[in-house]
Amino acid sequence: MQTLGELKLPQFFNYPPYFTLQPVRETQEKQIQLWKELIIAYCRMQKLFIIGLEEDFPLFSNPAIERSLNYDARSAFLSALVSDGRAEWTDKGHRQCLILWHQIQEWADIILRFVKDNGLEDSVMTLEEMRSGVESRGTDIHGMDHTVLTRALKLLENKGKLAIFKGTSTDDEGVKFSV
Amino acid sequence: MRRRPGIGGLQTAAAARDQYRLLGENVAKLRTDLMKEQLSTFRSQLEDFARKHKNDIKKNPAFRSQFHEMCAKVGVDPLASNKGFWAELLGIGDFYYELGVQIVDICLATRPINGGLINLEELCKMLSQRRKGAREAVSEDDCLRAISKLKVLGSGFEVITVGKRKLVRSVPTELKKDHNEILELSQAQGFVTVEEVERRLSWSTGRATDALETLLDEGLAMIDDGHRDGKRRYWFPCVSSVSSFVASETL
Repeated sequence: MQTLGELKLPQFFNYPPYFTLQPVRETQEKQIQLWKELIIAYCRMQKLFIIGLEEDFPLFSNPAIERSLNYDARSAFLSALVSDGRAEWTDKGHRQCLILWHQIQEWADIILRFVKDNGLEDSVMTLEEMRSGVESRGTDIHGMDHTVLTRALKLLENKGKLAIFKGTSTDDEGVKFSV
Repeated sequence: MRRRPGIGGLQTAAAARDQYRLLGENVAKLRTDLMKEQLSTFRSQLEDFARKHKNDIKKNPAFRSQFHEMCAKVGVDPLASNKGFWAELLGIGDFYYELGVQIVDICLATRPINGGLINLEELCKMLSQRRKGAREAVSEDDCLRAISKLKVLGSGFEVITVGKRKLVRSVPTELKKDHNEILELSQAQGFVTVEEVERRLSWSTGRATDALETLLDEGLAMIDDGHRDGKRRYWFPCVSSVSSFVASETL
């Protein structure tokens, strides 16, 4: 089986018509479903959060069969993820997409678990520490997108699980947990 | 002087008729008995055979196919009833019912990909993958047998032959001759172009696009606009399945 990074590529990735957006509704639905799953799996594996529609993205072309997704197809697959709540456009022109391979609520749960696992219930931590510190190594939080982290933390703040305090720069933004 | 019919004559005639009938009945009974005896001998022989080769029948697809052939020749259908002695003896009925259910399952699951038409070979492969745990190997012959039993349900399961391949159809759409010819043509590479259909089948452009559009609408074809030459290709997952395409690529 062909792999990309550490991801085992599904069989449809080698079947040329899957790189052309299908005109017939039912066929297209199936095609979109398969691509959605693949995009999420790939982003999760690579810890990717942003996909630019106009940039080269390894998943969107398969040199082995000389096929790549055109703009319309990319846009259709990402739009489908957006309407599933698994992605968000970051700009009005829909040229860049934020991929939520965990939804914000799931991220919040992961953070809570992380806090409990590490006994940080009453601690103070900077966002940077969370994203690149020793504690988060090996968890999904490690290398997490800054925007996504902030939003998950805001969600927890609204629930009274922590307080966010802003520093002078993004580097010293921090949280005080009170789980 | 002519003898006139008397009561005595009538009685004699009637008695003779009775005698003939009795004799006839006896002969018929004798024959039936003989037949019955032969049949029961035959049946017990067949049973003995089945019992003796039970394991072969269960485990060896080739042997099973031959056994079926033999049964068919003598007019016995081991699959006719699930309650008969065959079922009890071999569990053979259950085997095919199970296969049938799994075939329906696979056909339904792959319908969005292939439009309800699947290569028998691929179906078999998927079936074997699914039955990895089961002891019995499954042959194409077994698939065909199980599918023929599905016909009873009237669900439109059918095996059609296109070119060299057998395809299993699980949707009620009737394939027209034109569509069959395109499917056959596509078997060489897995796809066709409008140009190719026109040239190879000597059709007008309209006829070719019409047929291809229909196949597309039925979900049997997928378009591919990504080739360098800029010509649209129509791929048919039912003849060159996604998996078999990959296999041939890596060879």
